[in-house]
Amino acid sequence: MKNTLYSEGMKMADLISSDPSLLIVIARLDIKLGFGDASVADICKRYRLSKNLFLMICDIYSFDGFKPSTDNLTLDDIPHIISYLKTSHKYYTSYFFPRLRDDIHLMIKACNESDRKIMNKFYDDYDAEVRKHFDYEEKTVFPYIETLLANGNTGKNYNIGKFEKNHSNIEEKLNDLKSIVTKYLPETCSSPARYDVLCDIFHIELDLSKHTLIENELLVPLVKRQERNE
Amino acid sequence: MNNQLRHRILLIEPSQIIATGLANMIGRHRIFETPTILSDVDKYYTINRDTYDVMIVNPSVFNFRQRFDIRHMLSIDNNTALLIISYGINDENMLYQYDGCISIYDSAEMIEKKLLTAVDSLNGTPKSESDELSGREREILAAVAKGKTNKEIAGIFNLSVYTVVTHRKNISRKLGINSIAGLTVYAMINKLIDVKDYSRNTAEND
Repeated sequence: MKNTLYSEGMKMADLISSDPSLLIVIARLDIKLGFGDASVADICKRYRLSKNLFLMICDIYSFDGFKPSTDNLTLDDIPHIISYLKTSHKYYTSYFFPRLRDDIHLMIKACNESDRKIMNKFYDDYDAEVRKHFDYEEKTVFPYIETLLANGNTGKNYNIGKFEKNHSNIEEKLNDLKSIVTKYLPETCSSPARYDVLCDIFHIELDLSKHTLIENELLVPLVKRQERNE
Repeated sequence: MNNQLRHRILLIEPSQIIATGLANMIGRHRIFETPTILSDVDKYYTINRDTYDVMIVNPSVFNFRQRFDIRHMLSIDNNTALLIISYGINDENMLYQYDGCISIYDSAEMIEKKLLTAVDSLNGTPKSESDELSGREREILAAVAKGKTNKEIAGIFNLSVYTVVTHRKNISRKLGINSIAGLTVYAMINKLIDVKDYSRNTAEND
Protein backbone atom coordinates (compact mmCIF):
# COMPACT_ATOMS: atom_id res chain seq x y z
CA MET A 1 0.00 0.00 0.00
CA LYS A 2 1.63 3.21 -1.11
CA ASN A 3 0.18 6.67 -0.62
CA THR A 4 -3.23 5.13 -0.69
CA LEU A 5 -5.51 8.07 -0.59
CA TYR A 6 -3.65 11.31 -0.30
CA SER A 7 -1.86 13.34 -2.90
CA GLU A 8 0.08 16.56 -2.90
CA GLY A 9 -2.56 18.24 -5.04
CA MET A 10 -5.37 17.81 -2.57
CA LYS A 11 -6.53 20.64 -0.37
CA MET A 12 -5.20 20.53 3.15
CA ALA A 13 -8.72 21.20 4.46
CA ASP A 14 -10.07 18.20 2.55
CA LEU A 15 -7.33 16.03 3.98
CA ILE A 16 -8.40 16.92 7.51
CA SER A 17 -12.09 16.32 6.78
CA SER A 18 -11.32 12.96 5.25
CA ASP A 19 -9.60 11.85 8.44
CA PRO A 20 -9.78 14.09 11.51
CA SER A 21 -7.17 11.99 13.27
CA LEU A 22 -4.67 13.79 11.01
CA LEU A 23 -5.26 16.93 13.06
CA ILE A 24 -2.76 15.60 15.52
CA VAL A 25 -0.21 15.21 12.73
CA ILE A 26 -0.51 18.77 11.49
CA ALA A 27 -0.46 20.07 15.07
CA ARG A 28 2.78 18.22 15.74
CA LEU A 29 4.32 19.56 12.58
CA ASP A 30 3.28 22.98 13.85
CA ILE A 31 1.20 23.70 10.76
CA LYS A 32 -1.16 26.50 11.73
CA LEU A 33 -4.85 26.30 10.95
CA GLY A 34 -6.38 28.97 8.75
CA PHE A 35 -4.73 27.75 5.59
CA GLY A 36 -7.76 28.49 3.40
CA ASP A 37 -7.73 26.44 0.23
CA ALA A 38 -4.00 25.80 0.18
CA SER A 39 -2.98 22.43 -1.19
CA VAL A 40 -0.78 19.91 0.58
CA ALA A 41 2.06 20.91 -1.75
CA ASP A 42 1.59 24.63 -0.91
CA ILE A 43 1.68 23.97 2.81
CA CYS A 44 4.70 21.70 2.60
CA LYS A 45 6.54 24.37 0.62
CA ARG A 46 5.61 27.05 3.12
CA TYR A 47 6.81 24.95 6.05
CA ARG A 48 9.85 23.59 4.15
CA LEU A 49 8.58 20.04 4.65
CA SER A 50 9.06 17.36 2.07
CA LYS A 51 5.78 16.35 0.50
CA ASN A 52 6.75 12.71 0.52
CA LEU A 53 7.44 12.74 4.23
CA PHE A 54 4.21 14.55 5.00
CA LEU A 55 2.12 12.16 2.90
CA MET A 56 3.95 9.20 4.38
CA ILE A 57 3.14 10.28 7.95
CA CYS A 58 -0.50 10.89 6.97
CA ASP A 59 -0.70 7.40 5.46
CA ILE A 60 0.77 5.91 8.64
CA TYR A 61 -1.87 7.61 10.77
CA SER A 62 -4.82 6.98 8.50
CA PHE A 63 -4.29 3.39 7.48
CA ASP A 64 -3.73 0.70 10.06
CA GLY A 65 -1.27 -1.82 8.78
CA PHE A 66 0.30 0.65 6.34
CA LYS A 67 3.91 -0.33 5.72
CA PRO A 68 6.03 2.78 5.47
CA SER A 69 9.07 2.93 3.25
CA THR A 70 11.95 5.35 2.94
CA ASP A 71 12.24 4.89 -0.83
CA ASN A 72 10.97 8.38 -1.58
CA LEU A 73 12.54 10.10 1.40
CA THR A 74 15.89 11.84 1.59
CA LEU A 75 18.41 12.58 4.31
CA ASP A 76 16.98 16.10 4.48
CA ASP A 77 13.84 14.59 5.98
CA ILE A 78 15.67 13.41 9.10
CA PRO A 79 15.49 16.72 11.03
CA HIS A 80 11.76 16.95 10.32
CA ILE A 81 11.20 13.43 11.59
CA ILE A 82 13.13 14.21 14.76
CA SER A 83 11.20 17.38 15.32
CA TYR A 84 7.96 15.46 14.79
CA LEU A 85 9.02 12.80 17.29
CA LYS A 86 10.06 15.41 19.85
CA THR A 87 6.70 17.13 19.63
CA SER A 88 4.97 13.77 20.09
CA HIS A 89 7.07 13.11 23.17
CA LYS A 90 6.04 16.45 24.56
CA TYR A 91 2.41 15.60 23.89
CA TYR A 92 2.78 12.26 25.65
CA THR A 93 4.69 13.49 28.66
CA SER A 94 3.12 16.84 29.32
CA TYR A 95 -0.41 16.21 28.20
CA PHE A 96 -1.37 12.64 27.68
CA PHE A 97 0.26 10.64 30.47
CA PRO A 98 -0.64 13.22 33.14
CA ARG A 99 -4.24 12.98 31.95
CA LEU A 100 -4.15 9.20 32.15
CA ARG A 101 -2.70 9.48 35.64
CA ASP A 102 -5.49 11.82 36.73
CA ASP A 103 -8.10 9.49 35.29
CA ILE A 104 -6.52 6.51 37.03
CA HIS A 105 -6.54 8.38 40.33
CA LEU A 106 -10.20 9.17 39.86
CA MET A 107 -10.92 5.59 38.89
CA ILE A 108 -9.26 4.00 41.89
CA LYS A 109 -11.05 6.24 44.35
CA ALA A 110 -13.83 3.68 44.10
CA CYS A 111 -11.47 0.76 44.86
CA ASN A 112 -10.54 -0.71 48.19
CA GLU A 113 -7.31 0.44 49.74
CA SER A 114 -5.27 -2.57 48.72
CA ASP A 115 -6.29 -2.43 45.05
CA ARG A 116 -5.70 1.30 45.09
CA LYS A 117 -2.15 0.77 46.28
CA ILE A 118 -1.49 -1.93 43.71
CA MET A 119 -2.77 0.17 40.83
CA ASN A 120 -0.89 3.23 41.99
CA LYS A 121 2.38 1.38 42.14
CA PHE A 122 1.85 -0.25 38.76
CA TYR A 123 1.13 3.06 37.14
CA ASP A 124 3.98 4.91 38.88
CA ASP A 125 6.45 2.27 37.73
CA TYR A 126 5.07 2.42 34.23
CA ASP A 127 5.21 6.18 34.17
CA ALA A 128 8.86 6.11 35.23
CA GLU A 129 9.62 3.55 32.53
CA VAL A 130 7.99 5.66 29.84
CA ARG A 131 9.90 8.75 30.94
CA LYS A 132 13.14 6.81 30.87
CA HIS A 133 12.33 5.56 27.38
CA PHE A 134 11.68 9.07 26.01
CA ASP A 135 14.59 10.51 27.96
CA TYR A 136 16.98 8.09 26.33
CA GLU A 137 15.76 9.11 22.89
CA GLU A 138 15.89 12.82 23.70
CA LYS A 139 19.26 12.80 25.44
CA THR A 140 21.17 10.13 23.57
CA VAL A 141 19.61 9.15 20.26
CA PHE A 142 18.44 12.49 18.86
CA PRO A 143 21.61 14.40 19.83
CA TYR A 144 23.67 11.64 18.24
CA ILE A 145 21.74 12.00 14.99
CA GLU A 146 21.90 15.78 15.10
CA THR A 147 25.68 15.70 15.55
CA LEU A 148 25.96 13.14 12.78
CA LEU A 149 24.05 15.43 10.43
CA ALA A 150 26.00 18.51 11.41
CA ASN A 151 29.56 17.23 11.69
CA GLY A 152 29.61 13.80 10.17
CA ASN A 153 30.69 10.85 12.21
CA THR A 154 31.91 12.03 15.59
CA GLY A 155 33.92 8.91 16.20
CA LYS A 156 31.86 8.23 19.29
CA ASN A 157 31.15 4.65 20.01
CA TYR A 158 27.49 4.84 19.09
CA ASN A 159 25.38 4.05 16.08
CA ILE A 160 21.70 3.85 15.33
CA GLY A 161 21.88 0.06 15.35
CA LYS A 162 22.26 0.23 19.12
CA PHE A 163 19.05 2.17 19.40
CA GLU A 164 17.30 -0.26 17.10
CA LYS A 165 18.47 -3.19 19.18
CA ASN A 166 17.50 -1.75 22.54
CA HIS A 167 14.36 0.06 21.51
CA SER A 168 12.16 -0.99 24.39
CA ASN A 169 8.52 -1.70 24.07
CA ILE A 170 6.40 0.69 26.11
CA GLU A 171 3.17 -0.56 24.64
CA GLU A 172 3.22 -3.92 26.38
CA LYS A 173 2.35 -2.65 29.84
CA LEU A 174 -0.27 -0.36 28.40
CA ASN A 175 -1.90 -3.39 26.90
CA ASP A 176 -1.67 -5.15 30.28
CA LEU A 177 -3.28 -2.16 31.93
CA LYS A 178 -6.09 -2.38 29.42
CA SER A 179 -6.74 -6.02 30.32
CA ILE A 180 -6.61 -5.24 34.03
CA VAL A 181 -9.02 -2.31 33.81
CA THR A 182 -11.39 -4.10 31.44
CA LYS A 183 -11.42 -7.53 33.01
CA TYR A 184 -9.78 -7.85 36.38
CA LEU A 185 -10.37 -4.86 38.62
CA PRO A 186 -13.41 -5.90 40.63
CA GLU A 187 -16.82 -4.63 39.58
CA THR A 188 -17.09 -2.88 42.91
CA CYS A 189 -14.30 -0.63 41.70
CA SER A 190 -16.48 1.13 39.14
CA SER A 191 -16.85 4.76 38.25
CA PRO A 192 -17.26 6.85 35.10
CA ALA A 193 -13.50 7.43 35.24
CA ARG A 194 -12.90 3.75 34.56
CA TYR A 195 -14.38 4.19 31.08
CA ASP A 196 -12.26 7.31 30.59
CA VAL A 197 -9.12 5.36 31.51
CA LEU A 198 -9.94 2.77 28.87
CA CYS A 199 -10.66 5.40 26.22
CA ASP A 200 -7.33 7.03 27.06
CA ILE A 201 -5.50 3.74 26.68
CA PHE A 202 -7.09 2.83 23.35
CA HIS A 203 -6.27 6.25 22.03
CA ILE A 204 -2.65 6.33 23.15
CA GLU A 205 -1.99 2.74 22.19
CA LEU A 206 -2.87 3.53 18.60
CA ASP A 207 -0.87 6.75 18.63
CA LEU A 208 2.18 5.06 20.15
CA SER A 209 2.08 2.28 17.59
CA LYS A 210 2.25 4.87 14.77
CA HIS A 211 4.99 6.71 16.64
CA THR A 212 7.05 3.54 16.92
CA LEU A 213 6.50 2.86 13.23
CA ILE A 214 7.93 6.29 12.37
CA GLU A 215 10.95 5.60 14.58
CA ASN A 216 11.66 2.08 13.39
CA GLU A 217 10.66 2.26 9.74
CA LEU A 218 11.55 5.84 8.81
CA LEU A 219 14.09 7.28 11.22
CA VAL A 220 16.30 4.24 11.70
CA PRO A 221 16.69 3.34 8.00
CA LEU A 222 17.38 6.97 7.05
CA VAL A 223 20.00 7.41 9.75
CA LYS A 224 21.60 4.14 8.64
CA ARG A 225 21.76 5.58 5.15
CA GLN A 226 23.47 8.67 6.53
CA GLU A 227 25.90 6.53 8.54
CA ARG A 228 26.86 4.63 5.43
CA ASN A 229 27.60 7.91 3.67
CA GLU A 230 30.14 8.83 6.30
CA MET B 1 6.03 -7.67 20.24
CA ASN B 2 9.54 -8.22 19.04
CA ASN B 3 10.59 -10.12 15.97
CA GLN B 4 11.55 -13.28 17.76
CA LEU B 5 7.98 -13.85 18.81
CA ARG B 6 6.60 -13.47 15.33
CA HIS B 7 5.39 -16.60 13.67
CA ARG B 8 7.43 -17.70 10.70
CA ILE B 9 5.42 -18.78 7.74
CA LEU B 10 6.32 -20.78 4.66
CA LEU B 11 4.05 -20.31 1.67
CA ILE B 12 4.03 -22.86 -1.14
CA GLU B 13 1.98 -21.45 -3.97
CA PRO B 14 2.62 -21.72 -7.73
CA SER B 15 0.89 -18.47 -8.69
CA GLN B 16 3.21 -15.53 -8.18
CA ILE B 17 0.29 -13.12 -8.08
CA ILE B 18 -1.50 -14.98 -5.33
CA ALA B 19 1.69 -15.72 -3.40
CA THR B 20 2.93 -12.13 -3.43
CA GLY B 21 -0.50 -10.73 -2.57
CA LEU B 22 -1.03 -13.11 0.30
CA ALA B 23 2.50 -12.63 1.62
CA ASN B 24 1.99 -8.86 1.66
CA MET B 25 -1.31 -9.13 3.49
CA ILE B 26 0.12 -11.46 6.11
CA GLY B 27 3.34 -9.49 6.54
CA ARG B 28 1.39 -6.45 7.69
CA HIS B 29 0.16 -8.29 10.75
CA ARG B 30 2.45 -7.71 13.65
CA ILE B 31 2.59 -11.23 14.97
CA PHE B 32 3.42 -12.76 11.60
CA GLU B 33 6.55 -12.35 9.59
CA THR B 34 6.23 -11.85 5.87
CA PRO B 35 6.08 -15.43 4.59
CA THR B 36 8.86 -17.07 2.65
CA ILE B 37 7.51 -18.04 -0.76
CA LEU B 38 8.23 -21.24 -2.67
CA SER B 39 6.65 -21.80 -6.06
CA ASP B 40 6.76 -25.58 -5.96
CA VAL B 41 7.31 -28.39 -3.58
CA ASP B 42 10.65 -29.56 -5.02
CA LYS B 43 12.41 -26.58 -3.51
CA TYR B 44 10.83 -27.39 -0.17
CA TYR B 45 13.06 -30.37 0.38
CA THR B 46 16.20 -28.32 -0.07
CA ILE B 47 15.53 -25.62 2.54
CA ASN B 48 15.84 -25.61 6.31
CA ARG B 49 12.18 -25.95 7.18
CA ASP B 50 12.45 -26.43 10.93
CA THR B 51 12.24 -22.70 11.57
CA TYR B 52 8.70 -22.35 10.25
CA ASP B 53 5.77 -22.87 12.54
CA VAL B 54 3.08 -22.24 9.96
CA MET B 55 2.85 -23.64 6.44
CA ILE B 56 0.38 -22.45 3.88
CA VAL B 57 0.20 -24.78 0.94
CA ASN B 58 -1.68 -24.89 -2.31
CA PRO B 59 -2.64 -28.57 -2.58
CA SER B 60 -2.26 -28.38 -6.36
CA VAL B 61 1.51 -28.67 -5.91
CA PHE B 62 0.83 -32.31 -5.05
CA ASN B 63 -0.73 -34.91 -7.25
CA PHE B 64 -4.19 -36.05 -6.34
CA ARG B 65 -3.15 -39.05 -4.32
CA GLN B 66 -0.55 -37.15 -2.33
CA ARG B 67 -3.09 -34.52 -1.31
CA PHE B 68 -4.68 -36.89 1.16
CA ASP B 69 -1.68 -36.75 3.39
CA ILE B 70 0.02 -33.43 3.00
CA ARG B 71 1.50 -33.51 6.49
CA HIS B 72 3.26 -36.70 5.63
CA MET B 73 4.40 -35.40 2.25
CA LEU B 74 5.94 -32.35 3.93
CA SER B 75 7.18 -34.41 6.90
CA ILE B 76 5.69 -31.98 9.42
CA ASP B 77 4.39 -32.88 12.85
CA ASN B 78 1.58 -31.41 14.88
CA ASN B 79 3.75 -28.57 16.12
CA THR B 80 3.47 -26.94 12.74
CA ALA B 81 0.17 -25.44 11.65
CA LEU B 82 -0.88 -26.41 8.15
CA LEU B 83 -3.28 -24.30 6.14
CA ILE B 84 -4.22 -24.66 2.52
CA ILE B 85 -5.05 -22.12 -0.15
CA SER B 86 -8.22 -22.70 -2.01
CA TYR B 87 -9.19 -21.21 -5.36
CA GLY B 88 -12.62 -22.72 -5.21
CA ILE B 89 -14.36 -25.77 -3.90
CA ASN B 90 -12.52 -28.26 -1.73
CA ASP B 91 -12.86 -31.94 -1.36
CA GLU B 92 -14.41 -32.29 2.09
CA ASN B 93 -12.58 -35.56 2.55
CA MET B 94 -9.29 -33.76 2.66
CA LEU B 95 -10.16 -30.94 5.01
CA TYR B 96 -9.68 -32.89 8.24
CA GLN B 97 -5.92 -32.78 7.93
CA TYR B 98 -5.59 -28.99 7.88
CA ASP B 99 -5.68 -26.36 10.58
CA GLY B 100 -7.39 -23.95 8.24
CA CYS B 101 -8.27 -23.14 4.67
CA ILE B 102 -7.63 -19.74 3.14
CA SER B 103 -9.79 -18.82 0.19
CA ILE B 104 -8.39 -16.37 -2.34
CA TYR B 105 -11.55 -14.32 -1.77
CA ASP B 106 -10.97 -13.94 1.98
CA SER B 107 -10.57 -10.45 3.42
CA ALA B 108 -7.40 -9.51 5.30
CA GLU B 109 -9.32 -9.82 8.58
CA MET B 110 -10.57 -13.25 7.66
CA ILE B 111 -7.08 -14.48 6.81
CA GLU B 112 -5.72 -13.05 10.02
CA LYS B 113 -8.44 -14.79 12.00
CA LYS B 114 -7.76 -18.12 10.31
CA LEU B 115 -4.04 -17.85 10.94
CA LEU B 116 -4.56 -16.95 14.58
CA THR B 117 -6.93 -19.86 15.07
CA ALA B 118 -4.45 -22.22 13.45
CA VAL B 119 -1.63 -20.93 15.62
CA ASP B 120 -3.78 -21.28 18.73
CA SER B 121 -4.53 -24.89 17.95
CA LEU B 122 -0.79 -25.29 17.62
CA ASN B 123 -0.33 -24.29 21.24
CA GLY B 124 -2.50 -27.24 22.15
CA THR B 125 -5.40 -25.03 23.02
CA PRO B 126 -8.59 -25.67 21.16
CA LYS B 127 -10.68 -22.50 20.98
CA SER B 128 -13.40 -23.88 23.20
CA GLU B 129 -11.05 -24.32 26.12
CA SER B 130 -11.83 -22.02 29.01
CA ASP B 131 -9.57 -19.12 29.74
CA GLU B 132 -9.55 -19.94 33.44
CA LEU B 133 -6.14 -20.64 34.85
CA SER B 134 -5.44 -24.19 35.97
CA GLY B 135 -4.24 -24.87 39.51
CA ARG B 136 -0.67 -25.29 38.36
CA GLU B 137 -0.84 -22.09 36.33
CA ARG B 138 -2.06 -20.18 39.38
CA GLU B 139 0.84 -21.52 41.43
CA ILE B 140 3.33 -20.55 38.75
CA LEU B 141 1.74 -17.14 38.35
CA ALA B 142 2.11 -16.54 42.09
CA ALA B 143 5.78 -17.46 41.90
CA VAL B 144 6.31 -15.14 38.93
CA ALA B 145 4.61 -12.35 40.83
CA LYS B 146 6.93 -12.93 43.77
CA GLY B 147 9.82 -12.24 41.43
CA LYS B 148 11.05 -15.81 40.93
CA THR B 149 12.95 -16.61 37.75
CA ASN B 150 11.95 -19.41 35.40
CA LYS B 151 14.86 -21.47 36.66
CA GLU B 152 13.83 -21.02 40.30
CA ILE B 153 10.24 -21.90 39.46
CA ALA B 154 11.38 -25.02 37.62
CA GLY B 155 13.26 -26.02 40.77
CA ILE B 156 10.34 -25.37 43.12
CA PHE B 157 7.81 -27.38 41.10
CA ASN B 158 10.23 -29.93 39.78
CA LEU B 159 9.54 -29.01 36.15
CA SER B 160 11.81 -28.35 33.20
CA VAL B 161 12.46 -24.71 32.39
CA TYR B 162 10.87 -25.38 29.03
CA THR B 163 7.63 -26.46 30.72
CA VAL B 164 7.67 -23.36 32.90
CA VAL B 165 8.05 -21.19 29.81
CA THR B 166 5.10 -22.97 28.19
CA HIS B 167 2.99 -22.42 31.30
CA ARG B 168 3.93 -18.76 31.33
CA LYS B 169 2.99 -18.36 27.69
CA ASN B 170 -0.37 -19.95 28.38
CA ILE B 171 -0.94 -17.76 31.43
CA SER B 172 -0.20 -14.61 29.43
CA ARG B 173 -2.39 -15.69 26.58
CA LYS B 174 -5.30 -16.53 28.85
CA LEU B 175 -5.09 -13.34 30.87
CA GLY B 176 -4.06 -10.95 28.11
CA ILE B 177 -1.22 -9.77 30.36
CA ASN B 178 2.43 -10.09 29.38
CA SER B 179 4.63 -8.04 31.68
CA ILE B 180 5.71 -9.28 35.09
CA ALA B 181 4.38 -6.06 36.61
CA GLY B 182 0.98 -6.68 35.01
CA LEU B 183 0.91 -10.32 36.10
CA THR B 184 1.78 -9.20 39.62
CA VAL B 185 -1.18 -6.82 39.67
CA TYR B 186 -3.44 -9.66 38.58
CA ALA B 187 -2.01 -11.98 41.22
CA MET B 188 -2.61 -9.43 43.97
CA ILE B 189 -6.07 -8.36 42.93
CA ASN B 190 -6.99 -12.02 42.96
CA LYS B 191 -5.20 -12.64 46.26
CA LEU B 192 -2.80 -15.18 44.81
CA ILE B 193 -0.05 -13.35 46.66
CA ASP B 194 0.07 -10.91 49.52
CA VAL B 195 0.27 -7.20 48.74
CA LYS B 196 3.37 -6.89 50.89
CA ASP B 197 5.23 -9.11 48.42
CA TYR B 198 4.83 -6.33 45.90
CA SER B 199 7.40 -4.11 47.55
CA ARG B 200 10.03 -6.78 46.97
CA ASN B 201 9.16 -7.04 43.34
CA THR B 202 9.89 -4.21 40.97
CA ALA B 203 9.37 -3.42 37.34
CA GLU B 204 13.09 -4.10 36.77
CA ASN B 205 12.34 -7.80 36.73
CA ASP B 206 10.90 -7.62 33.25
